[in-house]
Amino acid sequence: MTRVVPTGPPAAPPPTPRKEEWQALRILAVGAEGGGSGGLLHSIRQWMADSGAEIESAPDLPRAVRQLGAGRWQVVVAVLGDHADDDLVWWVDTLRGASAAPRLIAVAHRPSMGLVLRAEKLGVLDVLSLPVRRDDFLRALRRVRTAPEAAVTLPDVESHAIGQYVLVGQSPAMLEVYKLIARVGPSSATVLVQGESGTGKEVIARAIHLNGPMASGPFVAVNCAAIPENLLESELFGHEKGAFTGAITRKIGRFEQAGGGTLFLDEIADMSLALQAKILRAVQEREIERVGGSETIPVNVRLIAATNRDLKEAIKQARFREDLYYRLAVFQIRLPRLTERGDDLFLLTAYYARHFAKEYGKRIHSISDRALDLLRNHAWVGNVRELRNVIERAVIVATDEVLRVDHLPEEFRGEEATLQDRPEGALLALAEIEARHIARVLAHTNGQIGAAAEVLGIHRNTLTRKMKEYGL
Amino acid sequence: MSGEQPLPPVRVEKALGLLPEIEALAPLRALLVSISRPDERTLWSSSGPYLTLGKRGVQPEELRRRMPQAFHVITDHLQVLYRAYVETLECHQRGDGPGAVAALLRAGRGEERVGRVGQARAWYDVALRVSQALQDRRPEVESLRSLGELFLRLGQHAEGARHFQRALAIAEAEFDQAGAIAACEGLGAAALAQSQWAGAQAWYARGLQLAEATGDQRQIGRLEHHLGVLARQQGELARAGEHLRRARECFESTDATEEIAGVLNMQGLLEGQLGNEAAAMAAYREALAWAQRAPRDAGLEVAIRLNLAELHLEAGRFLDGEEEMRRAEQVAIAANLTSRLVQIYMLMGKLRGRQLDETGFVFFEQAVELSRTLEPSPAAEAQVYLEYGLFRERLGQREEARACLERAREIFGTVGDSVDRRRVEAELEKMAV
Repeated sequence: MTRVVPTGPPAAPPPTPRKEEWQALRILAVGAEGGGSGGLLHSIRQWMADSGAEIESAPDLPRAVRQLGAGRWQVVVAVLGDHADDDLVWWVDTLRGASAAPRLIAVAHRPSMGLVLRAEKLGVLDVLSLPVRRDDFLRALRRVRTAPEAAVTLPDVESHAIGQYVLVGQSPAMLEVYKLIARVGPSSATVLVQGESGTGKEVIARAIHLNGPMASGPFVAVNCAAIPENLLESELFGHEKGAFTGAITRKIGRFEQAGGGTLFLDEIADMSLALQAKILRAVQEREIERVGGSETIPVNVRLIAATNRDLKEAIKQARFREDLYYRLAVFQIRLPRLTERGDDLFLLTAYYARHFAKEYGKRIHSISDRALDLLRNHAWVGNVRELRNVIERAVIVATDEVLRVDHLPEEFRGEEATLQDRPEGALLALAEIEARHIARVLAHTNGQIGAAAEVLGIHRNTLTRKMKEYGL
Repeated sequence: MSGEQPLPPVRVEKALGLLPEIEALAPLRALLVSISRPDERTLWSSSGPYLTLGKRGVQPEELRRRMPQAFHVITDHLQVLYRAYVETLECHQRGDGPGAVAALLRAGRGEERVGRVGQARAWYDVALRVSQALQDRRPEVESLRSLGELFLRLGQHAEGARHFQRALAIAEAEFDQAGAIAACEGLGAAALAQSQWAGAQAWYARGLQLAEATGDQRQIGRLEHHLGVLARQQGELARAGEHLRRARECFESTDATEEIAGVLNMQGLLEGQLGNEAAAMAAYREALAWAQRAPRDAGLEVAIRLNLAELHLEAGRFLDGEEEMRRAEQVAIAANLTSRLVQIYMLMGKLRGRQLDETGFVFFEQAVELSRTLEPSPAAEAQVYLEYGLFRERLGQREEARACLERAREIFGTVGDSVDRRRVEAELEKMAV
């Protein structure tokens, strides 16, 4: 599928660059000298004459990498080869490591819709078709000179320290969670914390532990989904030396380690049914046996379990034991998604910006209004964990005291450059609108098909079919 | 949304557990690994950072759909072997001994490409036997060389060296320059693998001298590269830099893209050792760019990405390091490079160790599992146990650390790797203090 050509009234051509309009703009044109590029370099030089921009060229990717390493460039115009999709990914990967994070204008022979949409997702400035038209090139270039970004001061955030973790948030949804922690903390009841990935289930578990009768004891966390299935039992209950291949020493399991404290079983739905039975026994009898051992060991632990799955659905599918569910769900806490937490997003952004600024020895006081808008409009499939990652990255690449759009990951920049960039009056085919919208949602959900299907309100099989159809 | 919920994918650890260790199923095993995907729900979950091959998922339906791919690989491979054999017979029939040997060696290389080293050896043995009856002795040199390389690959360095020695003696007697250069290169590699620096230096230098006489830039470049590697290992960094510079000049003059990428990868290591982080980074980035131009060599790409990741790790840029490792993992899985996966998981475990993250042990467990099952390699397993021991020690788990190191020492002892065995012993001694 090739890129859809606008069928409506033509957009006004961009004016010729004014003298010195592009002063200090450095453009590196790669593979634009020959080899089917139709003398693109020559054209660019002509179009940019008197504009003040500095234009250089490199014959291929390796030589371009050398030039990128030797200076700062704002724009790279790269002619993609026969394997345009692979080339595009290589270019984005290469520019990610270059200083000044140059923006990419990719040029290809008859770019497919899939290539264009993938480029958008990767934050590529534009994909142009060979032969490149002057107007398209200048329009793409103008997007480098973005609208000014106004700085919004980041507030000082009140946080509650939970060991090395913190609780940040004042939204009504989180206030409800705090109340539940206050209610269940003082008891020694077993708690089931539910919520999507990255909503902070372990932090809540730690908060319950610290507010409970066993606060002076250890807090031991086990990630049931991370540990290989064949090792999980010995990790939880311990083993005797020689119990199985690889049992090279005697091991004290997490149940015993957590004695007098709290055992946090994260992602409990990922446990096999056989192991669920053993957990049930440990919860009921308050005693365990090490793998390969015959001694019964009493354990005194508070159990907190967490999951991002729907356990009731898992019970229906016979993947989770109903009796264990009722043993664990004595008290339940459901954590809200980040998108349900309103202005907590701003507070969390401020908190993480200051936290990482301190860690990386930087001074960050503000965030630009456009960057904040992008954060507010993102789908946050990974919730607070994803936000934390995004802010940490932004702080690392920030060069002054303000976090800007350019400091956000490429897919955020891609989200900014979507339909609104299309010239006024250019009409789109229905298929292109659908393809673009799907690509946009997929970018929001980090390519997670299930989540994207949910947002789009269609079955995942339908989405998969459409993705194939549009080459996404 | 409507309709029945699709069944969740089967975990790779489970899927591999259900697949008997039968050689005929190797292409299916490779396909299973290469089409495995991380469960999209785990990407942002707390287990996401600990994702390993075993925790990825595979849909049986997709495996069924893509089975023709595996059949295609099998048919292609068998065709190479059968054709080579028929060609051998035809050559024999018309009295073309060298042609017959070349066909047999081609079949052996075909076996090596798919990791069937035992079978490759069988082809090479027949080739050697045939070549020994010929008047022209160059095919014998070629057969000995193939066997030498195979033994080096298997870690049987002394046996490899013995074959290269014979190849060199015959090549010199027959004035076979190319054969003599290749034999010197092999002898150098065997000595290097056994940490016999002076021997390696002498063989590579001799090979270089012969190559310079022929003027073959590619061959000169290869030997300069080897000498650079050797000098770096000996700690003679300036000399290493000089060899690598010359190697690069030779390769650039012949546009040998893959070799340029290899030299730049080594240059990156050297710059890193010299503390020139920016130069190391630039070298790796350029190496990746050259690797992209070369015919796709996933192994080389993974090697460069791993070095880049290690550089990030040493500089404390854990996020960047992890990203690079995940990219390397993706490439290694798609290309079914099990031995590289072992290295990747070892490095991921090391990263978690630096972060004092106990759950990082899952990477070492996965690496041990891979080095024992998918592509058994005692040397790799011993390396994993060594790093696993250091990881445990960093976390203050001395008893486990000692057990891992003792296991590493035992395996290094069995494979005859005295250098790494000494390293393990030094670590054990440090722990005893």
